[in-house]
Parts: sequence; C-alpha cells; structure tokens
Amino acid sequence: MLGQFAVDPIWISRPSLIAERLWSLTLEGELWRNTQRTLVEASLGLALAFTVGVPIGIAMARYKYANAVAEPFIMSLYSLPRVALAPLFIIWFGIDLFSKVMMAFSTVLFIFMLNVHEGLKTMDRDLIDLFRTMRASRAYMTRKVLLPWIVPWIIASLRIGVGLSLVGAVVGELLGASAGLGWYIEKSAGRLDTTGVFVGLVMLTVLATIGNILVARLEARFSGWRP
Amino acid sequence: MTKPVNPQKLDGHASSGHDVPKISLRNLSVTYPSGDGTPVKVVQDVSLDVSPGQFVSIVGPSGCGKSTLLRVLSGLLEPASGTALVDGNPVTHAKDRVGFMFQRDTLLPWASAEENILVGAELARIPPQYIAERVKSLIGFLRLAGFEKNLPHQLSGGMRQRVALGRLLAYEPEIFLMDEPFGALDSQTKSAMGRELLRIWTEHRRSVLFVTHDIEEAVTLSDRVVVLSARPGRVKLDVNVDFERPRDPKVLRKDIRFIEMVDRIWSALDLQPI
Repeated sequence: MLGQFAVDPIWISRPSLIAERLWSLTLEGELWRNTQRTLVEASLGLALAFTVGVPIGIAMARYKYANAVAEPFIMSLYSLPRVALAPLFIIWFGIDLFSKVMMAFSTVLFIFMLNVHEGLKTMDRDLIDLFRTMRASRAYMTRKVLLPWIVPWIIASLRIGVGLSLVGAVVGELLGASAGLGWYIEKSAGRLDTTGVFVGLVMLTVLATIGNILVARLEARFSGWRP
Repeated sequence: MTKPVNPQKLDGHASSGHDVPKISLRNLSVTYPSGDGTPVKVVQDVSLDVSPGQFVSIVGPSGCGKSTLLRVLSGLLEPASGTALVDGNPVTHAKDRVGFMFQRDTLLPWASAEENILVGAELARIPPQYIAERVKSLIGFLRLAGFEKNLPHQLSGGMRQRVALGRLLAYEPEIFLMDEPFGALDSQTKSAMGRELLRIWTEHRRSVLFVTHDIEEAVTLSDRVVVLSARPGRVKLDVNVDFERPRDPKVLRKDIRFIEMVDRIWSALDLQPI
C-alpha cells in the first residue's frame, strides 16, 4: 500500500476503498445500473455506426465521382471534434439514452466509413479483373470477393470503435444524464469523491477490456487467412 | 509422357468450321492514357488469327502490349481501333467462355484450394449436383490431393498456380488466355507446369494464347510463336513451330532446328540496350 504513505488518498483514493465501494454499489444495484447504461449506449452506437458506416464506405468506393465531391465535407465533419457536438445532441435528442447513442454513433461512424473505403481502394485489381473475365455477376462478386475482402478492415474498425464508442457515450453522460458511468464519475468528482471517480474508471476499463477480447475473438475467427 | 493425339478426333469444335478462326484480331490498336494525359499507343495495327485448338505464344520486349492483347480479348479493355473477334463475334458478345490466367495466382486468399477451384465451376454454371465431383476430379488431376483444405498462403508458388489452373479448367473455357502464367516460378517448377499445361492441352485441344518472355518456353509449347516489336507493339515475326508432338523438352533443347528457331526469334526481338 505504497499510496497510503506516499500520496494522500484524497487525490488518488486507495485500492481497498475502491474495492469496498465496488462491493457496496453492487449490493445497491447502482453499479450494474450505471455500467449497463453505458454499455447499452456504447454498443448501440457502435452497432448503428457499423450498419450505416459500412454501406457508406462501400458507396464511397463505388461512386468515385460522387465521393470526390462529398469527400471534403466528410473529412471536415470527421475532423470536427465530436465532443463539441454533445451539447447540441442533448438539445436535440434529450438527456436520456438516445443522445448518448448518437454521441457514440457520431464518434465511430467515420471510422467504419473511412476504413471500409480505404480497404476497397487497396483491393486486388487483378482479382476483380479475373472475376470479370469469368463474367461474374455483381452480386456474386460482392458475396465472394468484396465482402470477405473488407472483413479485416471492419474488424480493425471495431477494434478502434470499442474505445471510441465508450468515449462518445461517456462524454454525453458527463454533460447531462441521470445514469451511466460517465454520469457517476461526474457526480463523484463534484463531491470530491475520488473513490467514486476511480470506481467509474475501473468499470470503464472492464468494459473496454471485454470489448477488446470480443474483437480479438472475431479477428481470430475471420482474419486467419491473412498470412 | 503424353500419347500422340489426333486433333480431329478430340476437338469437337474443329468440325464447326476450320475457316472461322477461334480468335481474330483485325488491325487492332490500343492506347493508354499516360501520366500527363496524352494517350500512348501500346499496340499498333496488330492482326492475328488463332485457329481452333491452336497453341500460339506471343513474345516481345516488355511494354510491347503483349498483355494488352489478352486484356482486349477477355473484354477487360476497349481497343482504340480495330476489332477483336471470338468465333466471329465481338468479344463482348462472345458465346464462348474465355479463361484468363495471370502471372500472379489471383486466388481468393481466404478460400481453400478446393473453394478456389469451386469458383470456376460455379461461374461456368455447371449444374450444382456435378460441381463437387468436378472439383474433386480436378484436384486429383492436378495432383493437389491432400492440400484441398489449405489456404493459398499455405501452398508453394507452383501449387498456387496449379490451383489457379484448376479454377481455369473448372470454368471450362473454349479459349485459354495466359499472361505469363508461370513467369514467377523457379525454372524447374516452370517446366513442370509447362508439361502440365501440354498434358491438359493435349486432352482438351482448346485454343491457347500464351504470353511469355521465355523464348524457349514459347517454342517448346506452341504451334506458332508471334514476335511483337517494342512499343507500340506490331507483329514482327510469325513462326510456325512444326516439331512433332508429343515433345520432350530435354530432347528438343538439343535439336539444331530448335536452337536455330530460338535464335531467329531472339534476333527478331530488337532488345534495346538498357
């Protein structure tokens, strides 16, 4: 317990205090309520970003001219710190679940779009040509070549997206919420309750770790063909 | 070694007309856009006929448009002028299947050897109940048994090209367009693949247009060798290779007629000093 002697627990709390708090919050049901809220917000945002981002990424690769026109706008939206959108999203979508889902969604969306687009740009031209010489239909090529090709890029997006969707959800919660780990951290910090802040951070780390493990599983399952 | 073959007996298409060439290029010119936007002529005024069942090789200095001719014939590229006909029809409306093979194996990297060969059978619209059997027999024929479940990166270069050849055969093309298919292989594997190809050709007697820069390979395999000039490519020499088949590369290599022919083709290739 080096922290006990070296640093005042007021700043960084103490592992034993954090463990105690985790236990008492678990008994109250508060821990699960907040963790579940953040988990739901982040995963809905991530799922939505996947559903919308992948088709847009494919369309960006397919319609090159439209993309040339749209790309500067997309890039400026991408470069916009999405954190700055949070107040607007709270006004638009309220302080409940939906505004946080939209925060997570807007943070991750571009990752899917740009990764899928990039993946398709680096697609093996010879492979496409070969299928064209065999007069493969567009549907056949999409199923047999295009979709398998972008799977590793989607998994790479998920890997980044796990962390970013949590960022989106938590930022939304910091600004205005009634539940969630970000809300709990914010509330604890307002009372100088360092233990509470660390409890929130510990749980966020747990969520991120579980997310990363799931992505690693997907990767092992679907990207094994990469030499 | 392969048995001598009577072409009339094996080639069911020969009867459909020896007069109509299987492949016919008429005054074909192809241009590519260059870096600064001005078009560059890669192929100029090339006319070339390939009869049914004929094995024709194209050699020429690099950049002379050898591959371009194949790309036009497979419908991947539009010529600037002239026509490319398959069985008398424009390539885009060709009834016959045209099979293409690249120097790179271009296999689906996530699919096993078996699944890659299956693609050819599916695209040939072979009735589903026959597909599995067809793939299996090709695996046996190409000596890939035991490796059907391997992914491309788990196979050697020669085996990958055998899988690509399997996919090509599963597609059952009437015409084989081969763009330096064995160019990336070491010389032993290359000559083994050449023998493999001759074995297939002897059995099926399809028209083959084979691009290579290996003159000995061209002479060993082909009925005819066409030499293209440096860019823009034109037909510079068209030699009939009338050595009797089956050919034994080891014997052929020492044949004075073979050596002379290789020499003649070498001198027709005006290789610029680099």
